[in-house]
Order: sequence, then structure tokens, then C-alpha cells
Amino acid sequence: MEAVEYFEVECTEEAGGNYYRRIAEVVLLDHNLLRVIRKLHIFIDPGVPIFVAVGVTRKLPGIVRLRDFADVAVTEQKVTISIGDETYLAPLLQILWAQYGKENVSQPDRFTIVLPPGQADADLEDLPVFDPSESMYKDLIYALLVIQPEGFKVRRQWYGDGKFYLVASEDTLPEDIDDLVREKFAMMGEQL
Amino acid sequence: MTLVPVTYKGGIYRHDEIIDLIEDLGGYIIQKHVIAQEVVLQALVPKEDIALISAIGKPLTGELTPSPLVGTEIAVVTMSLEIHHLPHASCDVAEYIRRFGAKTNMVGLARGFGKRIAQMNDEERDVINEHDLAVYLLGDFETCIRQKFPALRRGINVPIIVCGGPSREALQRIIDPPVDGYVGNVGRFMHRTKESEELAKLDEVVSEITRVLDRKRDEIAKDPPSVSPARLMDIIYDQVGEIHEVLSPTPITVQTTGLRVKLPYDTFARVLRDIPVEEGITIGEIANIIPSRMRDYILIRIRPFSETNVMV
Repeated sequence: MEAVEYFEVECTEEAGGNYYRRIAEVVLLDHNLLRVIRKLHIFIDPGVPIFVAVGVTRKLPGIVRLRDFADVAVTEQKVTISIGDETYLAPLLQILWAQYGKENVSQPDRFTIVLPPGQADADLEDLPVFDPSESMYKDLIYALLVIQPEGFKVRRQWYGDGKFYLVASEDTLPEDIDDLVREKFAMMGEQL
Repeated sequence: MTLVPVTYKGGIYRHDEIIDLIEDLGGYIIQKHVIAQEVVLQALVPKEDIALISAIGKPLTGELTPSPLVGTEIAVVTMSLEIHHLPHASCDVAEYIRRFGAKTNMVGLARGFGKRIAQMNDEERDVINEHDLAVYLLGDFETCIRQKFPALRRGINVPIIVCGGPSREALQRIIDPPVDGYVGNVGRFMHRTKESEELAKLDEVVSEITRVLDRKRDEIAKDPPSVSPARLMDIIYDQVGEIHEVLSPTPITVQTTGLRVKLPYDTFARVLRDIPVEEGITIGEIANIIPSRMRDYILIRIRPFSETNVMV
């Protein structure tokens, strides 16, 4: 957890809090999320019961565009895309199929895609293919769901703007839950 | 003749001689595993012949170790089969107990999680009651254990061992009425148990189980079952050909006072009832043969001597 600037687990039961600290460390490590979290504060009160996790992420990598992983060669007869990194091939194909129609997108081999010439060819290199922050936040929320005590089925989660939180309980969430979340952010020296 | 539970580990070469020896001495093979070139036998052998078996096994690189849990079936009750408890917290415990010879079944409750919402249905309750002992793996918080445990123990009449995150003293304090065994500091965790202190904790679980089962065995010894379960197992293996076609690792599971026979109840209950144990005495006369709540298996509960007045 050295990579994380601030990491605290606050709990009304000392022993339980220590166990949850270890659980959070292991889960975040397993999900490869330690390098994206800058600050994390977890608050658990099993008496209420309530689980609150608030945090701040590091600066995330930007949107992946076609030019980042492929070369585009435009001729009068056809447009050829040579794939350098297969990682983003699947989302790219989905986009191309939607745009050009499945019958017009041919893939003679794994690393080549051939399209008919179209109007948007000039901008093709700038085509946004994948937004890592979207999946990263989803992974983050999933990891928090794994960390939280099981059975806390009533939950609220939010992310964006470099911050995220998740509150969960077995019962209906208290009305002043936003104040509690703000308070926990303030403890880390942040503002929601 | 007192039979003691042991595990024999040795090479596969001439291991049938060891099996013959144990059977000739009046012991029983409960389970046999063949793993590549190695064979592992879980057996009940006469106490006075342990030295003899060790001596004969020695040239075959065989090793005899005491396994206090051979011949028992233990339910490892986990609050759910979600990622929160699996694989490490539940499987590590279940697997570790298995190394000492017990047959463990993991019972994942459908709604065991949560503090207020935890509950157990009749099927889960009956399945747990079919075992010799239940190990409950609870969570990390005292507050939760105190509130939910009464709902999870309702109707359970086998000995219970509670494992949870709080210390042993805390568990003893919050659980009322008391259960048979407690192991503290084994709650919810997400990592594999491989450090020595974690393994020591698992050893503590095993010694707690052994202690509780020894006490149960002492109770049973005062009014012993009319036939030894291991002997009844041998008789069924001899008389019912179909049992050899069952692919389960233990087609017949031995318990302290009964057996679980993995054949369909409707077809085989009558067959089992009529099998003679000794001249003039059938299994039906000395045991209750009932359908198990686990699949369509058969559960044989051997009646004690005081009820049948028969000892075979």
C-alpha cells in the first residue's frame, strides 16, 4: 500500500477494522488498483450497519484513439488499417461495424482491417476507441463491493472528477448520508 | 479390540499387501486414494497392531500417521458461496480438515450473510444435522455474530464449532447459550493461508474439532451403536454390487454412528434393509434407513445397543 498516499480504515470495532484493512489491501492488490488510487478512506460501523468508502484517484490515462495502436493507409479504392496492438481490436471492430456495416468491414488477417473508402476517412485516425477511465471506475466500484461486508445490499455509488464513493448498508440508507460522505472526504483533506 | 483412525501413505508398489494386512487384522479401509505413484489409505486399524503395520510398510516406504478425524463427516458451514468468503476463508479450512482424514462437505447458506437478514432454511438445517459436527465460519464483527448467530443455530442438534474474527474470549462472551467449541481470529479474509501463524490457526481448528469429537465418541462409547459403522460399510460393499459403480470419491461415507450411502433411496432402501449383518439379523433391525436431504442418498443411522439389545 506504499503507492497510496492516504489509506485509513475507521471502524467502531478495533479488531474488525484491522481485518478489513488487510482485506482492502489484498483486494485492491489482486484487482491491480493500487496504482490508480491516491487516497482511500473506509468507514465501517457494523452497529448501524453502514459501510462508507471514499477516495481520490490518480490522473488517469486519456482516451485511446485509433492512431495510438494502428496505422491507417487511405487509397482511392480502399482504407487499410494495420493493427499494432490487439488489445483494443474488439472495441474497434464494434465501432466500425456500427459505422460501416458488418458486410463492409473485412478482416483478411488478425492484424488487418479493410474498409471501403468513405467520407470520414481523414478523421479516422482520431477515432476514439476506448475510454480507460470508464472501465477503471467500474473495476474500482466492483473491488469496493468485494471489500464491503457481504449482505449490504442497499448501496449508493458515485464516481467522476477524480473522486469516488460507495455507501452500503443492510437497511435503508440514512437521510444524512451525504453529510457523512462529505465528512469522510474532509478527513482526507478533500472536498466532494 | 479398539480401532484407531490412521492414514497410511506409501508407494503404489505392493500396497495391496498393506490393504490385505489391515483387513486380516480386523481393520477397515475407509478411503483409498491413488495419486500418481503414491497411495493414501485412510483406515481404522487395531491399536495393538500399529507397530506391525508400520514395520511391514517400512520396506515399501510406507508411513503410518494418526488421523484423528478418519471416519467422521463434518459440515463446514459458510455464510454464502460469494467471493467474499471463497475461495480462501472457506475452502482453506475445509481442505485443511480433510488432511486429517475427515470427510468435509461445504454447506453454503443461501441467505447466511448480513446481520439482520441472515437466516437458514429447513433444507440447510437438515443437511447440517446429517453430519457429525458443524464448523461455522463467521465474519469479523462481534456485533454481527452476536445478532445473527441465534438464527443460524436454530434447530441444529449436532455439536457446533464457531470460527470468527473476534478473539476466542470475545466469541465465548457473545454466544449464548454456549456452543461446543470456539476458534477466534479465523474470520473473513481474502488471502491464502500459507504463513506459519495462519497454519497454526488452522491447526487450532483441527484440535478443537478433535477435542469435541473425542468427547462425542466418549458419549457414544457409553451406549455404543449395535454394529460398528466401518463394519457395516464393508458388509454393504460385499452385498450390494451397484455401489461399485458409484463414481463419488466415497460411495459410502462413514460417520461416527452411521453411514451415508450414495445410492438412490427409492430403489435401494429396501435392498439395504434386508441385508443380513449376521445370521438372523438384518440391517433394518439394527439401524434406521432414512432418505438423506443431500441429493437422493440414503442415510443409515445405527441404533444404539440400549435400543436393539443386539451387538454384532
